Amino acid sequence: MTVFTIDEVKKTFTNGEIDEQVLKGINLSLQEGEITALVGASGSGKSTILTIAAGLQRASDGRVLFEGKNMTDMNQEQIRKIRASEFGFVFQSAHLVPFLTVEEQLMLMLDVSETTMKKKEQKAEVAKILKLVEMNHRSKAYPASLSGGEKQRVAIARAIIHKPKMLFADEPTASLDSKRSKDVMLLIRDLTKTLNITTLMVTHDEEMLSYADHVITMKDGLILQS
Amino acid sequence: MNLAWKEIKKNKTKFIILGSIIFLVSFLTFIISGLSNGLSQDNAALIKDLPEGQFYMNADADATYNLSRIDASMQDKAMNGQKDAAALSIQMGFVNDADDKQHSIAFVTSTDSKLFESVEKGEIVLDRSLEDKGLKVGDTLTNNQFSGEFTVKAFVDQKKYSHAPVAYINMENYKEIYRVNEMQLVFVPGKEKALEIEGLQSFSNKDFLNTIPSYSAEQMSLNMIVWFLVVISGMLFAIFFYMMNVQKIGLYGILKAIGVKTSSLFGMMWSQMIVITLIALTFSVALSQGFTMIAPAGMPFSLTLQTTVQLSIVFIIIGFIGATLSGIQIKKVEPLQAIQQGEV
Ligand SMILES: Nc1ncnc2c1ncn2[C@@H]1O[C@H](COP(=O)(O)OP(=O)(O)OP(=O)(O)O)[C@@H](O)[C@H]1O
Ligand SMILES: [Mg+2]
Repeated sequence: MTVFTIDEVKKTFTNGEIDEQVLKGINLSLQEGEITALVGASGSGKSTILTIAAGLQRASDGRVLFEGKNMTDMNQEQIRKIRASEFGFVFQSAHLVPFLTVEEQLMLMLDVSETTMKKKEQKAEVAKILKLVEMNHRSKAYPASLSGGEKQRVAIARAIIHKPKMLFADEPTASLDSKRSKDVMLLIRDLTKTLNITTLMVTHDEEMLSYADHVITMKDGLILQS
Repeated sequence: MNLAWKEIKKNKTKFIILGSIIFLVSFLTFIISGLSNGLSQDNAALIKDLPEGQFYMNADADATYNLSRIDASMQDKAMNGQKDAAALSIQMGFVNDADDKQHSIAFVTSTDSKLFESVEKGEIVLDRSLEDKGLKVGDTLTNNQFSGEFTVKAFVDQKKYSHAPVAYINMENYKEIYRVNEMQLVFVPGKEKALEIEGLQSFSNKDFLNTIPSYSAEQMSLNMIVWFLVVISGMLFAIFFYMMNVQKIGLYGILKAIGVKTSSLFGMMWSQMIVITLIALTFSVALSQGFTMIAPAGMPFSLTLQTTVQLSIVFIIIGFIGATLSGIQIKKVEPLQAIQQGEV
């Protein structure tokens, strides 16, 4: 089933006098529970389309449909609500909140998504997810004391704790060595499969493609037909 | 989740520094304000401690009480039926003690009124500061214009005029020393609007204080200092909150990206600002009140709790405005920017 559709999306950046069209009409549909990987040369527009899909910036033209609702017509607040409760994000760096413990990072995300769970259930859920990402032994640690791979695993936990429908990941393994990258990729695949989360992921790493259900190649703001 | 408090707990040093700055600046302002108030008490406690009311002086006196002469009929008209009204005169002068040492004082005399000391002929009531200079009850004082002698009858607290201690004397003695028959002023206590009296000009207490040239000039510069301090501290607050917010742009971006409301981010900043400011102000209010108690007796220092509280409220308002202005960045932060700016 298609949960997410990107329809003729264009994006133009204005640098001074010069208009640069970075996306020239992207069409993409994402199937429920599947992982779609975006690959392509640097500067081809992968991050741009990912962040537009994730509601972090707006398209210049075209439509983005999430569960049939047109996000391009929504106001900031409506998009924020969707981001808070339906989307999860993982980026190249973990972007954790420096003054919160691992456990608190996840509690914050539950808070933001306006969960109806009681405090006790929230705690149990956090413990469960931390176990999944094998970080339960560091639940009281602050980000500064975690290794890169550990931070990234916490970031993944934060991205899925509120059971989002969509997961957006931009080079989630770029800062990790190949062993850690594999672990993280496996983790993303297992979690999204068990929780039935639809994933759009950008990657540079050929090895990571084996974990994806679909691979889409971009070039100069367009999708190459495979 | 209480992000504001969690951040303060994790970044104690940063917030302690911010708090110290607020503490130091507000403490400085309180002390300067205490000195300013003290000087003004020293200059005119005699007038400042009177209840709210009206001063009358002769309309021809050009708002200079020294030139004012109120004749008996006008004095009667002004005082007619007014409770606690008094006709009075103030003159700078001096007295000599038994060792022939001279003391500058402000002679004050008045008709019977509970607002001023009533003194028998040949007696004198002095401000307490002269007791510290070695005068005692029962001492005799002289004045070269006065045929008799004054016997010190009592000391009273905090009666100063033009930085000189007040000396209450009997009206007859006053008339002899200054060779006048009329009083300079009539004071009528009461909050109602001044009664218009032909030939007399009325002044509120505050207006009257401002007719004393040394007083208005001195107060103007002192008030200027206090308000400059307040304005400068306001700017300091704003700059500090601004720098803190700039440091946290990345964090705000991430929080926005995961869906935290902009209003929650403002709430976080405001509550931090209020907590830090309140703690800092509590310290500086306590310390400045403590200073009031230990300030050396001769030092003109007077800081009421009311003044401190008023200034504190001004500080909180200024801090709030400063924080809010610097917080406009929060509104402008694009989540995407933060994500693209690498490690947070
Ligand atoms: N905010 C912006 N303003 C102007 N130009 C931008 C902006 N963001 C991206 N671009 C440009 O758009 C193009 C595509 O950028 P994008 O980040 O999507 O590439 P990418 O495929 O993710 O590359 P990489 O693999 O290096 O991450 C680049 O040429 C980039 O310079
Ligand atoms: Mg990119």
